[in-house]
Amino acid sequence: MKKFYSNKIAIVLFALPALALFTVMVFYPIVQVFLKSFYDWNGLGSGTFIGLDNYTTLFKDTVFHLSNKNALIFAIVITVFQMTLATIFSIVVSNKKMKGRGFLRVSYFIPVVLSVTVVCQLWLAILNTDTGLLNAIFKALGIDFQQNWLANRHKAIYVIAFVNAWQWMGYQFALLMAGIKSIPSDYYEAAKIDGASSIMAHRKVTIPLLKETYKICLTISLTGGVKAFTEMFIMTKGGPGNATYTLTYLMYKAAFREFRYGYGMAAASMLVLQCLAIILIINWLFRDKEERSERKCNKRMARQLSQ
Amino acid sequence: MRKLTALVLCGVLCISTLVGCSKKANNEKAENKTTNTTETTTTTTEETEALPEGVLSEEKATLKIYAQYADEDTKVPYDYAVEQLKVAYPNVTLELEPQAQDDGQKLMTYAATGNLPDIYQVALAQIENFKQSGNIMVLNDVAKSTGFEDKVFDSAKNILYNEDGNIYAFPYAGNEYVVWYYNKAIFEKYNVEVPKTFDQLLTAIETFKANGIVPMSMFGAEGWITAAMYDVLATRWDAGGIAKLDNGEGTAKEDAYAKAADMLHTLVKAGMFQGSVTTTNYDQASEMFLNGEAAMFLNGQWYMTDATNKLGDDVDWMYYPSYDEASYEAGKTVWSGGGAAAGYAVNPNSKNAELAAKVAAFLSEKYCEAKVMYRGTPLVALDVDVQPETEFPAMMKKLQADLPAITSITKFDWHLSNATFKTALEDQTKYLMIEDYTPEEFIKELNNALQQ
Repeated sequence: MKKFYSNKIAIVLFALPALALFTVMVFYPIVQVFLKSFYDWNGLGSGTFIGLDNYTTLFKDTVFHLSNKNALIFAIVITVFQMTLATIFSIVVSNKKMKGRGFLRVSYFIPVVLSVTVVCQLWLAILNTDTGLLNAIFKALGIDFQQNWLANRHKAIYVIAFVNAWQWMGYQFALLMAGIKSIPSDYYEAAKIDGASSIMAHRKVTIPLLKETYKICLTISLTGGVKAFTEMFIMTKGGPGNATYTLTYLMYKAAFREFRYGYGMAAASMLVLQCLAIILIINWLFRDKEERSERKCNKRMARQLSQ
Repeated sequence: MRKLTALVLCGVLCISTLVGCSKKANNEKAENKTTNTTETTTTTTEETEALPEGVLSEEKATLKIYAQYADEDTKVPYDYAVEQLKVAYPNVTLELEPQAQDDGQKLMTYAATGNLPDIYQVALAQIENFKQSGNIMVLNDVAKSTGFEDKVFDSAKNILYNEDGNIYAFPYAGNEYVVWYYNKAIFEKYNVEVPKTFDQLLTAIETFKANGIVPMSMFGAEGWITAAMYDVLATRWDAGGIAKLDNGEGTAKEDAYAKAADMLHTLVKAGMFQGSVTTTNYDQASEMFLNGEAAMFLNGQWYMTDATNKLGDDVDWMYYPSYDEASYEAGKTVWSGGGAAAGYAVNPNSKNAELAAKVAAFLSEKYCEAKVMYRGTPLVALDVDVQPETEFPAMMKKLQADLPAITSITKFDWHLSNATFKTALEDQTKYLMIEDYTPEEFIKELNNALQQ
C-alpha cells in the first residue's frame, strides 16, 4: 500500500479521469454561472457586461425574498419530517424480533423508486378540492376541514414540502438503516447488562454512533430543500401566483420563461452560495461537536489519571 | 472470470462507441451526398424550365422541421400540408420533430448550440431574441417571390410584418378571439338569462352554485387563460387591454386595470370558478363544460368545432358582460385576442435555407387550407381558395357575421412581446384566482414587472 501511495504517476492517472469529468461537468459550469451573472444575457450570443446590476435587481425583487422564505420553510419541513420518521422507522425495523420487518422496509422505500411526476400526480389527485380523497375523508368523517390545499397562498408550500418529505423519507430511512446495521451488537449487550432500557440504549448508543450518517442526511435534506423545484413545477407551477416559488424556480422563470439568462444566473449563483454555506455550517457544527467531545474525553481521562 | 467479464464489457463499450461514431460519419457522408445532389439538382432544375403540373420544384433535400403536432388542431393541418408537399416538392422530405410544450426552451437550446432545425415554429418573444443573434431568416424576398405576401388578408397584415417591417415568419393563423362559451341548456334549465352586466353575472353565479353547477370551468393551470380572463374584463374599461400594457402605453395602476382586477377578485369570491381552478388542466376543465357540470367556459374560437361536436345546439357564445348595459352594447365590437407576427420561421444557417423558406411558405398556405376545410375555421392568415368540408358551426357563422364590425382586438398571452410582463401577468392572474390575494397586490406586482 505504501508503495502505491509513493507512486505519484499512478495516483494522477487514477484521479485524473474523475477530476477532468468534475471540472468539465461541474466546476466549469459553476464558474460560467458566476461569470454570466454579471451580464445582461438572453441565452444567445455573448451578452453585455452590466456589473452587479442583476444582483441589485435581485435583492430588490420581492419574489427573491419570498423564494428564500419558501426554500427555508421547505428545507425545515422536509428535514424535520424525514429525519424524525426515518429515525423512528429505522430503529423499529432494526429490531430483529419484530414481525414483518421486510415488508415495512420495502414499503418505506417504495416511494423513493417512483417517478417524481407519478408521485406529484398522485398527490394532485388526493389533494383536489372538489374530487380529492383527502377532502372526501374529512367530509365522510364530518370534519369541517375541507379546503383548497394547493390554492392557499400560505399553506401550499407546506403541502408541497410534505409531498417531497413523504417521497424521500425512504431514502433517509435506508441510510439510517445501513448505519444501524454497522453498529456492533456488543454495544447493545453492554448497555443491557448496565441496565439500560431499549429506548435508553438507542438514545445513548444508536443515535450518537449515527452521527456521520445524520450529517449526510442533514446535508441531503437541507440542500435538497433549498434547491427544491420539481414538485412545485409539476403541482402548482410555482403558484398560486408565485406563492410556492423557490430560488430554483425563480431562476427557471427568469432564464427560460423571460429569456433573462443573466438574471437567472444571478439567482443560480445565490443558490450555489446558499448550498455551500449550508454544507460549511453542517460541517462546522459536526466538527465542533467532535472536537468538543474529544476535548471532554481528554479532560475526563486526565482527571481520572490524576486521581 | 471477473477479468474476462470486465474485458468483454469494455470491448462492448468501445465497439458501441465506434459504431455510434461511424453511424454519425455515415450520416455526415449521406448529408454531404444530399447537399451535393441538391446542388446538382438545383443546376438541373434551373436548366429545365418546364416542370410537371402541380410541381413547384424538383430540388432534392431532407429538411428538419420543428412544429406543433399534438392534437387534432395541429395534426390535421400538418398531415395535410405534408401530403400536398409531396406533390409540389416531390423530392423534399420533412423530418418532423414535434414541438415541446416547454415555453420554447428546446428551441432556445437548439439556437444556442447551433442546432436549429431548417424550419421551426416560433413565437413573437423568441423572434426578438433570434433577430439579435442571427438565428432567424428575413423572408421578405421569399414572401414576394412565392406570392405569399399577396395572399395575406388585409385584416391580417398585422401578423405578417414584424415591428421593424420585415417578415420573419410565415403565419397561418389569422387574428383569433377569446370566446365566452355557455351551455344554453343549463341556462334555460335554471331560468338564467345570458348576463349583460356584472351584476347579472353575479346573480347567475349564485343560481348555478345553488344548483350544484360550476358557473365557469377554467383551466387555471395554464397562465394564458387566466390572463385572457383578466384581459376580457380589462377591455370593458379600456379597449387596449393587456396589449396596451405590453406596448408600454400604460401602467397597471390605471383605473381600467385596477377595476378589472377588482372585478375578477369579486367574481372569484362569488365562486365563479371550480375549487381547484389553479391546478385544473385543459382536459379537466373542458370535460366539466362538455359534460354539463359547468355552465360557462372561456377559450379561443378554435374550440367551436369540438364544443359543437359534443354539445350540438346547446352551446353558444355570448358577448363579454360589462359594468352596465351601455358599455355592454359598446363593448360588442371590442374583443380580447388577436394575432402576432409569428409562425413558420427558417434557420438562416440551413444548408438549404432558400428551399426551406419556400417550403415554409408552402406549408403555411396549406395549413390555412386545412384549417378552413377540416377544422371549421375561416380565421386564417391567407385568402385560400378552398371550401370547408362541412358547414362551419353555427357559432362560427355568428362570429363571422360580427367580424367586420370589430373595432379593436388585444393580444393573446403568447403574442406579448415583453416576456417579463407576460410571465408576471400569467403568475399574477393565476394568483387572483384565489380569494385571499388582493387586487392591490396584483396591481403592485404587475407594475413592478412592467418597470423591470
